[in-house]
Amino acid sequence: MAADDRRNGDSTNHNHRDPKKPRLSEFLTESDIRSEFAHHHTGVARVNNGSFGCCPSSVLDAQREWQLRFLRQPDEFYFNGLRRGLLASRAVISDLINADDVDEVSLVDNATTAAAIVLQRVGRCFSEGRYQKEDTVVMFHCAFQSVKKSIQAYVSRVGGSTVEVRLPFPVSSNDEIVSAFREGLKKGRANGRTVRLAIIDHITSMPCVLMPVRELVKVCREEGVEEVFVDAAHAIGSVKVDVKEIGADYYVSNLHKWFFCPPSIAFFYCKKRSSELDVHHPVVSHEFGNGLAIESAWIGTRDYSSQLVVPSVMEFVKRFEGGIDGIMERNHDEAVRMGLMLCSAWGTNLGSPPEMCVGMVMIGLPSKLCVESDDDAVKLRAYLRVHRSVEVPVYFLGLRDGEEGVKDKDSGVITAYVRISRQVYNETEDYERLRDAITELVKDQRTCQNLPPV
Amino acid sequence: MASLSPPEETAAAAASFHHRRSKRYSSSTTNGVEPVPDKRHKISPPPSFISPSEIESEFSHHDPAFARINNGSFGSCPSSVIAAQRDWQLRFLRQPDRFFFDELKPNISASRAAIKRIINAEHEDEVSIVDNATTAAAIVLQQTAWAFREGRFDRGDAVVMLHYAFGSVKKSVEAYVSRSGGEVIEVQLPFPVNSAEEIINRFRTGLALGKANGRKVRLALIDHVTSMPSVVIPIKELVKICREEGVDQVFVDAAHGIGCVDVDMKEIGADFYTSNLHKWFFAPPSVAFLYCKRSGGDAGGNLHHPVVSHEYGNGLAVESTWVGTRDYSAQLVVPSILEFVNRFEGGIDGIKRRNHESVVEMGEMLVKSWGTQLGCPPEMCASMVMVGLPVSLGVSSETDAVRLRNLLRERFSIEIPTYFRPPGQGEGEIDSITGYVRISYQVYNKPEEYHRLKDAVNELVRDGFKCSSLTG
Repeated sequence: MAADDRRNGDSTNHNHRDPKKPRLSEFLTESDIRSEFAHHHTGVARVNNGSFGCCPSSVLDAQREWQLRFLRQPDEFYFNGLRRGLLASRAVISDLINADDVDEVSLVDNATTAAAIVLQRVGRCFSEGRYQKEDTVVMFHCAFQSVKKSIQAYVSRVGGSTVEVRLPFPVSSNDEIVSAFREGLKKGRANGRTVRLAIIDHITSMPCVLMPVRELVKVCREEGVEEVFVDAAHAIGSVKVDVKEIGADYYVSNLHKWFFCPPSIAFFYCKKRSSELDVHHPVVSHEFGNGLAIESAWIGTRDYSSQLVVPSVMEFVKRFEGGIDGIMERNHDEAVRMGLMLCSAWGTNLGSPPEMCVGMVMIGLPSKLCVESDDDAVKLRAYLRVHRSVEVPVYFLGLRDGEEGVKDKDSGVITAYVRISRQVYNETEDYERLRDAITELVKDQRTCQNLPPV
Repeated sequence: MASLSPPEETAAAAASFHHRRSKRYSSSTTNGVEPVPDKRHKISPPPSFISPSEIESEFSHHDPAFARINNGSFGSCPSSVIAAQRDWQLRFLRQPDRFFFDELKPNISASRAAIKRIINAEHEDEVSIVDNATTAAAIVLQQTAWAFREGRFDRGDAVVMLHYAFGSVKKSVEAYVSRSGGEVIEVQLPFPVNSAEEIINRFRTGLALGKANGRKVRLALIDHVTSMPSVVIPIKELVKICREEGVDQVFVDAAHGIGCVDVDMKEIGADFYTSNLHKWFFAPPSVAFLYCKRSGGDAGGNLHHPVVSHEYGNGLAVESTWVGTRDYSAQLVVPSILEFVNRFEGGIDGIKRRNHESVVEMGEMLVKSWGTQLGCPPEMCASMVMVGLPVSLGVSSETDAVRLRNLLRERFSIEIPTYFRPPGQGEGEIDSITGYVRISYQVYNKPEEYHRLKDAVNELVRDGFKCSSLTG
């Protein structure tokens, strides 16, 4: 890939090998990996890469170099170094995701920011009369909370309506999801309305499922949806991303989750069109009107260093067998293996089949824990963090009337799941600690109603 | 002016106090390294003020080749504060979930509490922390735009701003106000300026224009210290005039405020006031505060951070504490900054005073050598001043000014912004000065740097240099 040949910035050397140690093998050893993540709290079973991601020391070092360049002579850096560095990052990403043109790739802080950009645009269309009141935005009910609030702030406020599609969960096939989505689109079109925007997660957050995003986008096109926004916060570094194949109008993914960047950086892809795209960064600078990619490259004095290290990340992932593809594959396989180990130990289930998981898996918690609310889930999570040094998010599955739910080996209904993540720094022991923590709670007849206080 | 009391340290901050004080910034520092014991505590007090060599050490990461006399553009950050920032970054990286759930919010609150004290705000709710003044402008202008869109303001109602407002702010006004139906009035200010009265009079005229034909002036957007050309605006008087003239809201853009001029919210009396801490208050990039006066008015319900998160609706200050996963470390070092400035005699007030005296002294030295003039009287500048360039250089356009700046950087290793002042604005001016430089003075600066500038320009003059000879 051309990206492999890119260098990071100017003359700074990013070779982090200890010059005294000859390179014995091409790939990182286990001890190298531990060293790269030595800043992680060693006592903690950190099985939640999905929430906040991780960043290896080599990339942090590269980031420091960029920060130092700015601090050393900020004017010089601003005039001569910054934009080139950002363009280099964008070019690497553009190659990686198969975009047609690097102009289609902007760098923003995170998916939350991209959502605001898209929804502000939709909001303007309503305000300025291009969309009719009550025209709809369709999304899944488990869309990330920030996105829902953004819809409230920008769309509902100006008269747009929303349709939430319930994601079947636990889920066993893509068809279930596609059918539910079609129904949702139909609702969105009822009474002569137009579906102006469909928001589809590539990988939902909670509960976590790999969605059939290509099929869903196709359905959108068939059903006359005006624009499709794929919120793929977790995608890059988890699953292959080909924006042309996926075919969405907007696609955003965080690089600090699964792509080893420091907080925070996301790429925001906006498919080129014949007409001018009325998307703008909400923080308006003198670059306003020069296209989103240029607008985003300067939103006032900031620390842009996390957006400049993408070439360094490519160097890092190349030190793994199979590069990022190898990492993704092994993360998936290990996560599934650990998931199966856990549901076997607990007598529960996986939330989705292995082919609908990435480096994250949902595993049912024993019914005996009596997770009966979101608060219980939060309590259990806090207990695990404080008393067992296990960091794992817990999801409460509220069953609706008439739903039977899935039963565990004790014939109780499974009302909660944990979402385990597997990244290169994880070890089997991390998941065994989780396993034992839950098993012991059940053995001690603990429930969410009588957990030790944190 | 509110006095600086010692920072209240959270338990977390106290625990890492010694840890932070012992760290020095260096690009070879690795993560998780054991802290070097703080030798000062062994030698022992009483604490004296920071010495010149300690100041040099705090800014040793600055490029030594350069005469860095442009603190105004991008500010500066001492090593101790950078080290404190690193600590915060490391805490997130170490265990991000725990950091998010247990540490982030209380420590942002600590920063906000410190700022509230410094700026004499009534209540912490009035203090939000955002990335920079550019972001603050978007927040304020977005609420103005909503009012236009939702019919609370009539189409054609006016927003009044200074002609010298920052470029990004002008674009933000275009993006939010013009687009939603507001009319923008720009008040021309004189430059060079001779007295605060000149500015006050022009502003009154601008307001009158805004109110013409029965319109209402919905927002006055006023700089506390203009960027280019740089002048300290008589902000208290202008806010008073706004109130007299029935302006709905006053928004003070004080990007250069805190650490540069006196920032007392109650005295100034604006509805919104924003200032960058990374310019003159020793913060790393980037962190700013946006003050929003609590009032019975509508603003409360309509002020939102444009990046909407799950905190939406909980008030701007809380919304701003979480705008998605980000590096919030620059927002967490305010207590460490206070430790730093309190090592100087007189704290931040002493620093401001000495910066002002030094920049005026250096400005007058340059003016004398070049035979030119300052852009304003000394009492209308703070820690920056505009200094006229010799007419013979022939600065005749903005392009000339930019190219001259590049020349100074590339040939003389001097970093200084230049300004083209179109001729003929004044009355009966002959040989009017069309080029100015804006010199800044911060604690790390030394007179030699300004002498280098003096000599460079004199050399150009001696060589018969003309801007017209510059290309690219």
